[in-house]
Amino acid sequence: MPDRETIGEALSRRGVSRRALLKYTAYLASLMALPPVAASAMAEALAKARRQSVIWLSFQECTGCTESLTRSFSPTIEDLLFDVISLDYHHTLQAASGEAAEQARLAAMKENAGKYVVVVDGSVSTKDDGVYSTSSGVTNLQLLRETAKDALALISVGTCAAFGGIPHARPNPTGAVPVSEIVTDKPVINIPGCPPIAEAMAGTVAYLVSFGRIPELDHLGRPKSFFGEAIHDRCYRRPFYDRGLFAKSFDDEGARKGWCLYEVGCKGPITHNACATVKWNGGVSFPIQSGHGCLGCSEPDFWDAGGFYTPLSAGTRRVGEVVAGAALAGAAAGVASVVLARRRKAQAAAAEASAKKEPTP
Amino acid sequence: MSPRDPVIAAPAAGGIARALLREVAQLLKKLAEEGEGGSIDLRSLPMSDADRDEVRERLGRGEVRADLDVAGTSEVWETRYAGVWWIRHFGSGDRIAAEEIAVTGVPAILVAHRADIVAAASRIENDLETPPASGREEGIRNA
Repeated sequence: MPDRETIGEALSRRGVSRRALLKYTAYLASLMALPPVAASAMAEALAKARRQSVIWLSFQECTGCTESLTRSFSPTIEDLLFDVISLDYHHTLQAASGEAAEQARLAAMKENAGKYVVVVDGSVSTKDDGVYSTSSGVTNLQLLRETAKDALALISVGTCAAFGGIPHARPNPTGAVPVSEIVTDKPVINIPGCPPIAEAMAGTVAYLVSFGRIPELDHLGRPKSFFGEAIHDRCYRRPFYDRGLFAKSFDDEGARKGWCLYEVGCKGPITHNACATVKWNGGVSFPIQSGHGCLGCSEPDFWDAGGFYTPLSAGTRRVGEVVAGAALAGAAAGVASVVLARRRKAQAAAAEASAKKEPTP
Repeated sequence: MSPRDPVIAAPAAGGIARALLREVAQLLKKLAEEGEGGSIDLRSLPMSDADRDEVRERLGRGEVRADLDVAGTSEVWETRYAGVWWIRHFGSGDRIAAEEIAVTGVPAILVAHRADIVAAASRIENDLETPPASGREEGIRNA
């Protein structure tokens, strides 16, 4: 694609009609809970924009985030994302390798200084100056600092980049931290999840290109349009929770009848993500629909937040308090226990933060 | 359904259908009086299947139906109320990717965009300058 060509011109040259673009933006507007009229404005803005230069950096990660983005797209409206962005650097997907790949990154940075978006998956090793994760002798820490310097914004995809994720789990041998702890002078958008939902990544990038600004974020830097509600709020099993009907194990009558999985450890009440509405595998299902509780993978420190099969009412993190029989008493007690669990989680986080600040005796 | 599949009762109508139909009526009145309608995104509403069926049944089918083959498929039909359109876009695997009720004269997705018209005008000129393959063969024989 010629460098100065707009997205509209490029689509026209390839025989892709504006109807296709309008359909794509209608899809994105619906996903992001924008009013339907926004679809036309987005389509017009995208048509006039140049493709967004994207530099994708992979650090301490498992490539699941890239898999989520690429595997979910079939040749229909969803793959129009790749007409909207110019993926100038990506370890796994680019054809170039070695020095040529690094030159492509430097060239994209120079040509689009101040305008390119850096997408990061994976956490950043900081212990011993970050030597535990390197590429061509350059630490992830150095690469991030160098690449972020002239970026427009950064998008941390996946829980590792957003919150540290599994590398950050105790005992965190590499000193893994999220991107937002390293880059503090640029906007950092968090799209957590293990892996994140592809539509949340695509929608956020398209919003950025269309409107030239970052979408509204919550207190953890997540776009509210995808992370504004708890899984529990939009779960189709919620009516069972409200009626106090819970599965007690994965093979009892309650499980067979599709009752609420709260008592077998579902973290849906404290997890914010779009799984219950956007779903996975082309909208086929999501973990709760497949019979397993939510692990809370889009929340900070989900790996250390208590057992996956321990009810929230038994406490999270290292807090040993138990709200005896909270869920057993049905909806009213269930709501109370969720509130308590949230409060305990906040208190535990505050206590842990306070402990970190105090010098070790 | 296998014996292991969860048995979940079909959710009953939650009463949102009536509220939604009122909103459609208000938008249609605005379109009639001021020439400006609007749209309602159906995916964002917490509607049960029963609610959705009720809305679809009450609005019914009108005179126009269009099937689009663009980045997947889409269905558009006018309801029994002129100016009220039901639009459904399918994504991969024929799942519904977006669904809305548009209250307008003609939905934007049906109208040919000026950029496409300009490109088409250029393309048809080029096509006419190049005889079709069968025509070329005819010309060779005549020569």
